[in-house]
Amino acid sequence: MTSSNLISILALAAAAATPASARDLGFIVTDFAPAIHQGKGDCPNGLAGTLRENYFATLAPAERARLGAPENEKELQKRWQGYAFGPNNTNVCANPEAFPDRPTQKMIEGPVAYGLDLDGGAAECAHAEFASPDGRRGIDNQAYRAMGCTLNYRGVDGKAGDIVRGSKMWLASGEHAMVILVKGVDDPRNDDAVEVVFASTDDRPIVDSQQNFVTGASYTVSANAAHRNLLKGRIRNGVLTTDPTDMRLRRAFGHGGPRGAKAEWEIGRAQLRLVFTANGALAGVLGGYQTPRNVIISTIAGGFGAAVVASIDCAAEYNTMLKLADGYKDPSTGRCTRVSTGLDIAAVPAFVFDRAPGESAP
Amino acid sequence: MRLLAVLAGVVAAFVPFAAIPKTEESVAVAGMRRLSESQYRNAIADIFGPDIEVAGRFEPIVRPHHQLLAAGAAQATISPAGLEQFDAIARRIAAQVFDEKRRAAYLRCKPGNATRADSSCARKTLAPIARYVLRRPPSKEDLARYVGLADVAAEKSGSFYKGLELSLAAMLLSPQFLYVVDVDEPDPATPGARRLDAYSRAARLSFFLWNTTPNEALLDAAARGDLDDPAAFRAVAEKMVASPRFEKGVRAFFSDMLLFEKFEEIAKDPVIYPRFNPAVAAAMPEQMLRTITDELVARDGDYRALFTTRRTFMTRALGTIYAAPVRSAYGWEPYEIAAMDDRAGLVGQAGFLALYSHSGRSSPTLRGRAVREVLLCQPVPNPPGNVNFTAVQDVHNRSFPTARDRLKAHATDPSCAGCHSITDPIGLALERFDGAGVARDRENGALINVRAPFGEGEIVGAAGLGKALAADPALPECVAHRAFEYATGLSADAAGARAAKAADSFARAGYRIRSLFLDVATSSDAYRVVASPTASPAAGAGR
Repeated sequence: MTSSNLISILALAAAAATPASARDLGFIVTDFAPAIHQGKGDCPNGLAGTLRENYFATLAPAERARLGAPENEKELQKRWQGYAFGPNNTNVCANPEAFPDRPTQKMIEGPVAYGLDLDGGAAECAHAEFASPDGRRGIDNQAYRAMGCTLNYRGVDGKAGDIVRGSKMWLASGEHAMVILVKGVDDPRNDDAVEVVFASTDDRPIVDSQQNFVTGASYTVSANAAHRNLLKGRIRNGVLTTDPTDMRLRRAFGHGGPRGAKAEWEIGRAQLRLVFTANGALAGVLGGYQTPRNVIISTIAGGFGAAVVASIDCAAEYNTMLKLADGYKDPSTGRCTRVSTGLDIAAVPAFVFDRAPGESAP
Repeated sequence: MRLLAVLAGVVAAFVPFAAIPKTEESVAVAGMRRLSESQYRNAIADIFGPDIEVAGRFEPIVRPHHQLLAAGAAQATISPAGLEQFDAIARRIAAQVFDEKRRAAYLRCKPGNATRADSSCARKTLAPIARYVLRRPPSKEDLARYVGLADVAAEKSGSFYKGLELSLAAMLLSPQFLYVVDVDEPDPATPGARRLDAYSRAARLSFFLWNTTPNEALLDAAARGDLDDPAAFRAVAEKMVASPRFEKGVRAFFSDMLLFEKFEEIAKDPVIYPRFNPAVAAAMPEQMLRTITDELVARDGDYRALFTTRRTFMTRALGTIYAAPVRSAYGWEPYEIAAMDDRAGLVGQAGFLALYSHSGRSSPTLRGRAVREVLLCQPVPNPPGNVNFTAVQDVHNRSFPTARDRLKAHATDPSCAGCHSITDPIGLALERFDGAGVARDRENGALINVRAPFGEGEIVGAAGLGKALAADPALPECVAHRAFEYATGLSADAAGARAAKAADSFARAGYRIRSLFLDVATSSDAYRVVASPTASPAAGAGR
């Protein structure tokens, strides 16, 4: 047995405040990012356009040819960056809803995606469904369909984009740190009723020199009760699933301030499907519904810099998600307001101290 | 400022022993010990307040082979570079003491003109400070020199306060501050013999029991002659070991005895030991000290129980090493190691296990040697220079998966076998902990065997080693000898039979550390001057 395995098992048996016959299993979340299927045929038409490319596409052929000449690069740069801005000092990333007439972007065309069957086939707004890589049908993940061909998601190497790397970094730095506490587990293979606390933690994770999360560290659930989500679930054949529950989690960017205070993961009707792995860890997916704005909140937080420096066309992303929205239908408009989503979750054993709402810090 | 610097240097060299009374051959300097960094810091905090920042690098005191740093302090000189550092530190302290914010707390009068010298006011202000800094009332000559320096500097700088600042900086650079000076005098109880004088006793008591400079009460007791009366002297020492400040003295002693300066250099390969990080490294010695002071001071426990106890303290950083849940997000909390766990006592703590390991592998030899030398006072010879370490260093050799296998192969050389037979069995009992102190039961896939011979019997694992150590008479004898050496600054050889007496009284007191320290602190043996006194350099120094 390696020391890490020994620690995993000890962590599994930790059982802070555990009933005599059951155990509480604690975890620190190591991955919490959009689940991206990297299939070869997912984006047959190429990646979604950058703001520069999308601006270029709006030009008449002759003008496109003129501005494409190297000697006119300066003019082109000025004009595509100007395309980021709208009336009243708005810009496509800080105010993507202010550009409803901007075109949508290239979407996922492949049949496979990670995620969950959120609507059980009874869609609020009609949409095509995916199959999961392990063969489950009816997967709802319209956020992935809309965003999956962006460079931010797909990455230059076809493995993982900045959205994944950035999320991992924020988890490790403590800005988004999260814990999972599966309470009252009689049998980690099969248990008809467990409670799951999925919460932010105010503690900075303990990571090694390569930014890997160290197992067996201790964490306390966040003092902010809004970021402690209590889910009802069960374990069948080593797979933990939970009932739909609205979830909120801290999602700060940078070290506090107004930007940090405003951001949250806000996932409606969230469900978990997590597998207990052989080394005592958890891995799987969180499905639910996000507003288009919540899906791209990190880019929105970047403001016009995300548009004119990173050349992200937030308006195209936003409009694509609105078009594909499949949940939370607005009765007044008859249109859905949120997109289904699938988030990749992984967690390693940790000692997690729960904190009931209103309870002070230990 | 350059002029002031020159003046300070001149004065520092000018007044090294001026405060020591010079009455023919009645007194002499019997010994000097350089202040440790912690003693210096504690002294400044106690004299001027904890808000005074002591910034700078301290020249290290060299530990003599198999001895305490306290013994090294008795031999420590200060190099020119080290003196420059002390000078810089002293100037920063003096500048803070007499800055606008703080000076009112130290001034005993208002200068007639703040831009000129004022001898009278300088004298009134510097005299009480000098009493604390020099640990005895300044002589008239001393005071005259410090006042004279303040006057000259005030006139040159155009600031009375700058003059005081310079004078204080010179005081802090004086050997009488940087060294604990043992001054002896004829012992009236034993004609022909000599003993430490009252102020030297006060300093020894204070640095030994509290790791800091004598306070007002101790200096007053010395002035009244209380410290010359055995009963009154013991009463003073009893109060000191009953004080919460006694813990600082115990911490300083064990930091010295357990070679904690090695923690400043501890390094682990982050790939091999991902749980080891700076927070863990910083917490390791503190965990050991908290365990020691909790068992020996707060609980007044038997010293031997320190090696079997399962009580300790934990931080979240350390919790990852121990696989321990830690509720407190910040700071320390009590923790009890489970009875089923092999980890028990001081030698089972991560700090001991990691300190006596290599950066990338555990070392039964280093751990065993540390137990022998540090805890049992049984020096082990150094290996010869031509040893082939290949067998023990190759941790990936499948033929020798465990440290036991590798050491067995290495010790087939008869020239190595002798020493390894006295170190390795002890260390092999600790092999279920890797080089960072994390529990393991296999190495390279092979089960680790932690059975080993010890004395006439056999030990099993860390808990077994702890029990065996607790039963070994050499364990309490060693700490008693070390306490005597620590209090006196004597080497083990020089302490000799006098330290053995301390060991006897330690046993009679049920191995209570408070009793040991009290007995050593008040033992007439500790204050008897055996060696020929050094001639006081005061007569001609600097002239």
